[in-house]
Amino acid sequence: MKIMIDEREVMAYPGEAILEVCRRENIFIPTLCYHPAFKGQGACRMCMVEIIDSRGQRKLVASCTYPVSDGLKVITSSEKIRKIRKTLAMLIAGRAQASPFAQKMAGEYEVKPFFFKGFENEKCILCRLCVNACEEMGSAVLAAVSRGVDKRIETPYAEGAEECIGCKACAEICPTGAIEVKEENGQRIIWHKTFDLIKCESCGREFATPEQIRFIEDKTGRKIEKFLCEGCRKRQTAEVIKEFSV
Amino acid sequence: MKEKMKIESSVNKIMVCCGTGCTANGARQVLAAFMDRLKDNPDFAVVPVLKATGCNGWCEKGPIVKIMPQDISYCHVKAEDVDEIIEKTLLKGELVKRLLYRDPVKKEFVTSIHQTDFYRKQHKIALRNIGEIDPGSIDDYIERGGYKALEKVLKEMTPDEVIEEILKSGLRGRGGGGFPTGLKWQACKNTPRFPKYIICNGDEGDPGAFMDRSIMEGDPHTIIEGMLICAYVLNAEKGFIYVRDEYDLAVKYLGQAILDARERGFLGENILGSNLCFDIELVRGGGAFVCGEETALIKSIEGYPGEPHDKYVFPTEKGLWGQPTVINNVETWANIPVIILHGAEKFASLGTEGSPGTKVFSLVGKVVNTGLVEVPMGITLREIIYEIGGGVPEGRQFKAVQTGGPSGGCIPASHLDLKVDFDTLTREGSMMGSGGIIVMDDTTCMVEVARYYTNFLAGESCGKCTPCREGIRALVEILTRICKGEGELSDLQLLRDISEVMQEASLCALGRTAPNPVLSTLRFFEDEYIAHIVDKRCPAGVCPALTTFYIDPELCTGCTLCKRNCPVDAIKGEAKKKHEIIEDKCIRCGECYRRCRFKAVKVR
Repeated sequence: MKIMIDEREVMAYPGEAILEVCRRENIFIPTLCYHPAFKGQGACRMCMVEIIDSRGQRKLVASCTYPVSDGLKVITSSEKIRKIRKTLAMLIAGRAQASPFAQKMAGEYEVKPFFFKGFENEKCILCRLCVNACEEMGSAVLAAVSRGVDKRIETPYAEGAEECIGCKACAEICPTGAIEVKEENGQRIIWHKTFDLIKCESCGREFATPEQIRFIEDKTGRKIEKFLCEGCRKRQTAEVIKEFSV
Repeated sequence: MKEKMKIESSVNKIMVCCGTGCTANGARQVLAAFMDRLKDNPDFAVVPVLKATGCNGWCEKGPIVKIMPQDISYCHVKAEDVDEIIEKTLLKGELVKRLLYRDPVKKEFVTSIHQTDFYRKQHKIALRNIGEIDPGSIDDYIERGGYKALEKVLKEMTPDEVIEEILKSGLRGRGGGGFPTGLKWQACKNTPRFPKYIICNGDEGDPGAFMDRSIMEGDPHTIIEGMLICAYVLNAEKGFIYVRDEYDLAVKYLGQAILDARERGFLGENILGSNLCFDIELVRGGGAFVCGEETALIKSIEGYPGEPHDKYVFPTEKGLWGQPTVINNVETWANIPVIILHGAEKFASLGTEGSPGTKVFSLVGKVVNTGLVEVPMGITLREIIYEIGGGVPEGRQFKAVQTGGPSGGCIPASHLDLKVDFDTLTREGSMMGSGGIIVMDDTTCMVEVARYYTNFLAGESCGKCTPCREGIRALVEILTRICKGEGELSDLQLLRDISEVMQEASLCALGRTAPNPVLSTLRFFEDEYIAHIVDKRCPAGVCPALTTFYIDPELCTGCTLCKRNCPVDAIKGEAKKKHEIIEDKCIRCGECYRRCRFKAVKVR
């Protein structure tokens, strides 16, 4: 199907969200809670755009969740949209006061953060990408818990979770470095739990937890013969491919 | 009024109101006393029938005991009064005058509550059975025409005819959204996927609201019947009633009603010999306000945290477990059997063109007759507050009325002639919502009211989307500093700017309406905000940091009432002599201000 984005006609497929089309077409829409690996969450609201419906009326929608339909008209920037993004930047930087990422964003939007009391050490912007990553990559122990202004990311009962495999996919995806990971003396401490670390058989770098290896073996049904870190695994694969290409 | 009114003797029915309000005031003890005295009582040839009913609505006067068929209503009945009622009314046919309602204007005793101003203006559809039947008895419901509407659709109507009838009635969702119920059913019916689900939204969470609660507690079968009719239309097999767990009586009676309906064949396989197979499961919610939002409620039934998601695809297409789902509010379901049985035209003849029918309101706050009222839509706020509610208690001035729950708005005296329906109040920055009406008098600080509701929402927002979560946090912080006397004039624009973004960018209706208390008070009571910020004064004498009380020596009679009620002994003065407030000791609780009968305590 065809849709119009800022007066430009682009192709879209049924089931896609406006944002997905925009990303493919290199049309910029700011986001905080979107990652192409997951479905749109509609949580941060930075990606609000205006659409013009069949009656010619303008409506504000979240582009990461709004499904495309034939002939849809989208406006990605307007006075209203700019005001929303500026205000959100002001609030997010006021919350994540210890996050350089959030402060930089406020600067880019030329707003003075509304500094909330008691948030001096906060880094989390509650984008929930960690929750999504934990669901997809790990064992789904993370959740956005509690309600309202007390919402936060936690493991069940704020204790080390039995199911947590210490893969730190959550920390890797976090845009603001809000998830604390400590790695020393061959151990990794994350989410109230301490894990041993396995060394890469090739380079000796500590790269995974035994729980993580077991989890991957269970999930894929294949035994991992040789423990290799990401870099060494790439190199090994490259070697193999090189053989083929001769 | 004659000194002794003789009452014809026949088989009496004694109905003790056991709604939540009356129960809190001892209705169960009254019921037990009746049961005890009537048991094997040799004075009666035929022992009267005793019933525990749902809420009569006039909670202010509870516990209420009604005696039929004479239609006598006794107010504020205590267990100690039972002997006298039996002795005089039931055996001798005399009235116990001291328990009758006394009209404050005409100074006359009123035999039946139905003749009072409180009831006369009401028109009961959704509440038709409540207070008249024992909610635990399916027979009581059937006796009053219950399950007749179901029989009618099964035997005489096609699903399309049912939808046509609901559409013609103009019924709109009573939970607050006001979406036409017929269109919702039609959209769901037109979605060609099965299974389909039906949900009753009984997650009423507004502070001070008890409309749905009374229906679930007082007439549970009407909800089941409404859902059954929808099940027939959609060919659905499974329904859920989502009720908050705090509603103990509602959970009890709904559970009982489902069991009884199953036993009588109204739920289960081949209902009333037709092809309809439908059952209902009771789901108890954890008491989160946001779960009243339908997508959050659906998530909650599925077992996830109650967080809404964008509704660009309606639940009628993709709802519970991704299947087509119709979700309606308790009161909406209660209207369905009446529309089917008595016809859409009759229903549509009530109310206004855009909002037909009646609406149940819980009338609370600074009003004489607190309670539950059902009135045709289009009635004015003035009629509800003054004619039914009896106005603000003596000695105080009306200031504002808050409608639509925590995300509604405050409406001032100048706007009391607004019609109450889905569209008018929304235009004025408030909303009818699910029907909460809170009356406020001149001892209410409007800035504090805005702060109170916003703070309620701070804990009850789901916290998923940024504008709602952080926007509310910002509003609370700004309002708190204004109440403490630390606000600045620029704060007012900041409140407006943040509110505007919350209205436009929030994910669900909770966030989009959350700034209503702030915006409506800013619109109608901006002078109060300015008094807080510029004059550092709370005109209503509520915000402790900005209040100083003093006693006007001209008006003080030395009655000692204030002194006796002061919790910190901050008032000095002897009886019949002028009193004085010791400012250093005063904690600004306002107890003296509200108590003084001579308006001698003033706010500086």
